[in-house]
Amino acid sequence: MATREVISTGNELSALAAKDAGCRFFGGYPITPSSEVMHEMSDLMPEVGGVCIQMEDEIAGVAAAIGAGMAGVRTMTATSGPGISLKAENLGLAQMAEVPLVVVNVMRGGPSTGLPTRVSQGDVRQAKNPSHGDYRSITLCAGSLAECYTETVRAFNLADRFMQPVFVLLDETIGHMHGKAMLPTEEEVAQGIVPRKTFDGAPEDYLPYQCEQDQPAVLNPMFKGYRYHFTGLHHDAKGFPTEEIETCRKLIQRLEDKVMMHTDEIELNEEFMLDDMTGAEGEVLIIAYGSVSLAAKEAIRHLRAQGIKAGLFRPITLWPSPAESIKKYTDMIKNVLCVELNIRQYTEEIERVSGRLDLEGLYKVNGRPISPYEIVNKVKEVF
Amino acid sequence: MARNLMRFTGVGGQGVLLAGEIFAAAKIKSGGEGLKTATYTSQVRGGPTVVDITLDDDEIFYPYANDGEIDFMLSVAQVSYNSFKSGVTPGGTIVVDPNLVHPSDEDRKTWNIYEIPIITIAKEEVGNVITQSVVALAIANTMQNAIERQTLIDTMLSKVPAKVHAANLKAYELGEKYANEAMNK
Repeated sequence: MATREVISTGNELSALAAKDAGCRFFGGYPITPSSEVMHEMSDLMPEVGGVCIQMEDEIAGVAAAIGAGMAGVRTMTATSGPGISLKAENLGLAQMAEVPLVVVNVMRGGPSTGLPTRVSQGDVRQAKNPSHGDYRSITLCAGSLAECYTETVRAFNLADRFMQPVFVLLDETIGHMHGKAMLPTEEEVAQGIVPRKTFDGAPEDYLPYQCEQDQPAVLNPMFKGYRYHFTGLHHDAKGFPTEEIETCRKLIQRLEDKVMMHTDEIELNEEFMLDDMTGAEGEVLIIAYGSVSLAAKEAIRHLRAQGIKAGLFRPITLWPSPAESIKKYTDMIKNVLCVELNIRQYTEEIERVSGRLDLEGLYKVNGRPISPYEIVNKVKEVF
Repeated sequence: MARNLMRFTGVGGQGVLLAGEIFAAAKIKSGGEGLKTATYTSQVRGGPTVVDITLDDDEIFYPYANDGEIDFMLSVAQVSYNSFKSGVTPGGTIVVDPNLVHPSDEDRKTWNIYEIPIITIAKEEVGNVITQSVVALAIANTMQNAIERQTLIDTMLSKVPAKVHAANLKAYELGEKYANEAMNK
């Protein structure tokens, strides 16, 4: 794989990735700590014939982005937790109408306006279900500067594959940290773009929402001669509202199945220093994601230097959770420490998929990062 | 080279961020690893700001400086000095602007404290207060020998507009001069 070295921040890399992945529309409203994504998009989009627009508020920002998605353009918005709260209703619309969209959420302290300039992972639970109703979130979480780029690229391809919003979670630490990232080349990213499916038969035969039960809708771009209807109501094959019992059931079941029957296409994890684990007594499994995993890796270096065999399992796709991979390691290793910048938001999922209620945890919600030494000390204290 | 941890502190709006970016980029250009993180408050101007710079030949994961491990700190605001000095390892180096920061006698026993009027140098000798971050950059590198001098200067010049190259070069040379004088006192 050809690579290039870029010195930048996580937020700027996310914007660069969007441009390279073919995004040509950004609608949003600036909010700390995500604002640099929009700043960068406002530079990049005009250079490639795209549009970056600052709308009057968060709600209008996502609405504009969804509109671009309906028109067939790769589209993105970026915000932080308070912005997701405001955008929730429209994110539900995009789930129901099956409009592809990438949402970058650079997490800060919450709830409400919280701690604007401080780091948090408090939006992990929110990303799973930002709005009401049944649907499956696809949520990716960058754990390095390079992943701010690669996960944003992946999000665009997943959004078009599954025809729904895809979240990319960054946090204040990773969004603002400035350093080196080794990235795939622009050409390689361009070659990897898989555009959404389209229907090229006769317009009168076109039924966008009539598809296999495990597949997304096939939505042609608006204004190209194919007429259909967008709605947040339960809808029929042409997109018009219906209350017909079986159509309603099949629609919502399909929103579930189109994701859950294809998790193999979505799951991505990192296993750091786990290859020499055997399940022997004294081994320590740390589960962390996002910027916290950086502290965990540093902690593992210290622990190993002190003779404690520790390793990290890091989900990169948070939702749907990598249930089988987590269970594989929690079945093998007795001592498990979950580390999060929230209170047990992902630990509860790990408990669910592992079937274990004896997991240890290290949590922090004061807007400050968790340091490697705190993890080292916790491991020594509890195991 | 072992890990080099530096911390620049000031208040929002003083431009302490830029020096950190230049350090990280120069280290990466020299073939190593460099990371800069900034911590600031919701205040647009006037809130305490801290920039941590980690330089290493090996991969760096955790991007913040661990308290107690910082080799060098530079501070141009009392509020930030008070908040962040405890991160500096005992016996480490702290540079303060004596017009803005007043270390206690106890502090002077704990750390090697140098007083250099960074803001005044930028304002009066260079003629542009914005160049204070480059004066600070030069002081830090002269005292820490973190990066090969010319690489750092080239990186710095690549990040400032061409029309102010001469002023920033002058700022760097002045920072270097004052740092050498302070160390030789």
